[in-house]
Amino acid sequence: MTRISLLDELKRSWAITVKDIKIYYLRPPALMFGILFPVALFFTFTVGRNMPPERLIPVLSAQTVFWSASSIGPVAIPMERRMRTFERFLSAPISLISILWGKMMAGFIFGFGITSLASGIGLIWTGRLVSDPVALVFGIGLSSMVYSAMGILFASIPTASPGEVIVPLNFVRIPLMFVSGMFIPIENMPAIGITAAFLSPLSHTLDLLKQGTGSSSYFGVITNLGVLSIWLILFLYIGQLFHKIIMKRE
Amino acid sequence: MNKPNAIEAVGLTKYYGDFLAVDHINFTVGKGEIFGFLGPNGAGKSTTIRMLTGISSPTEGMASIMGFDIVKQPVEAKSIMGIVPDISNIYTELTAKENLIFTGKLYGISKSKREQRAEELLKYFDLYDRRDEKVEGFSRGMKRRVCIAMALVNDSKILYLDEPTSGLDVKSVRSIREIIRELNAKGLTVFLTTHNIEEASRMCDRIAIINRGKISVIDTPERIKSAMKISCSIEIAFKETRTGTQEMLKQLSSATLVQKRGDKFLLKTENTAQTLKQLFVRIEESGLEPISLNTLNASLEDAFLRLTGEKMKKEIIHKRRQRK
Repeated sequence: MTRISLLDELKRSWAITVKDIKIYYLRPPALMFGILFPVALFFTFTVGRNMPPERLIPVLSAQTVFWSASSIGPVAIPMERRMRTFERFLSAPISLISILWGKMMAGFIFGFGITSLASGIGLIWTGRLVSDPVALVFGIGLSSMVYSAMGILFASIPTASPGEVIVPLNFVRIPLMFVSGMFIPIENMPAIGITAAFLSPLSHTLDLLKQGTGSSSYFGVITNLGVLSIWLILFLYIGQLFHKIIMKRE
Repeated sequence: MNKPNAIEAVGLTKYYGDFLAVDHINFTVGKGEIFGFLGPNGAGKSTTIRMLTGISSPTEGMASIMGFDIVKQPVEAKSIMGIVPDISNIYTELTAKENLIFTGKLYGISKSKREQRAEELLKYFDLYDRRDEKVEGFSRGMKRRVCIAMALVNDSKILYLDEPTSGLDVKSVRSIREIIRELNAKGLTVFLTTHNIEEASRMCDRIAIINRGKISVIDTPERIKSAMKISCSIEIAFKETRTGTQEMLKQLSSATLVQKRGDKFLLKTENTAQTLKQLFVRIEESGLEPISLNTLNASLEDAFLRLTGEKMKKEIIHKRRQRK
């Protein structure tokens, strides 16, 4: 009996991604928290503050990627628990990590697509140019993966209601925005604020996006990429650990 | 070397916290068998199925599927089984064909093979004409058929069916039972959990009755009935009912109970042949003219009630009253 190759696992995982794209992208909670909420927050904190374009674009893009990428897992997984379609994956010949990877990729594509669109419109509107395309692509792409994995981690909460995942997730998402240099630039923060900003993945997203659109990264691009990668591994590892614990209990 | 059983459970146990849901159960299911798994609500049926299919991990014990350990060799074990849970867990936002194709992808079936298999199954389950319609508009029976078809996309050797006919209309129930029989005739092993004792009695080669997490009995439906030594009944009606007829029938030594029910008499006995002989002698002697005579065998339901206790009995009586 042959074991499943990595390529085969990826193909099965991709099937989950495509299915999630078809089913969950247009669900009201995904649209609400993935598109409307970041746009509303952006206008709330920028209108009337005369924010210069070099800060405006990174803040818009960082908020969009943060909210949109983390919104698909918390919608898809509880709904699949409710319909008991999640059991289909658990009883299929595919590993848990591949199931979660498939779910994460759905969030990644959602976040990457919407943020690329929002950033593109923002850049054209303000007439700014992309100064470091690598930093910009990683700022959107790697961040999409990190926040999608964060959403998957919270979706391990054993509930059949997306609301019961989104509410605790918001308890983390909203405070993170205040310590990540979105509203107060990191250079103006006290030492403790800078430490908190360093630990927050959102600061590094913002930093990469600043680097990509003509400003410079506060912590440095290599540090940004390193911290985001560590968060990605941590979210994925803890996420699959929690999902395994829940499986054992159920 | 002995060929492995289709399913083998050894000391299978599941705790939810301190609650013991399944208590060290042991059983085997042979290849090509229809195995019924019966029990009252909360007896541990679904938990057992969840452990056998790898959805839930056993706290103790092991289960193997065609010789593959479900915990240690999950990929091999899961590749050869199909699962139909008690509710049709299909993607209602997708079409019938998309549901089948997606399942094929999950099992790593090549594109040409999954397309071909999906077409075959859609035709077999009489869904072909509506293959491109979203499943949300389908009737319950059709959704159930989609669900069973999805469980067969990977050419399963074992099919788990959890309450497959529950909540369906008579036509759908008959159609699904017929499908199960046909699939079994082609060699598919079927593990069937049901509340419907009549269904289990008619369809299963062997039955296990589980109660409070423990298996009470495993045997063929007929042997379970006879091993329980449950009374059979004889129902007789006479052209003319005289006073004293009931007293006369009560004198039959092999009848354990005689009741008048409308224009008929019901005799309970543990030896039908003996009672019939005695009855014919009395009829001859008394000159009564019988117009109908029925022998009613012990039912699996009686055995089930005896094994699962009074609580279940009350449940069934309540359900019968609701049906009436």
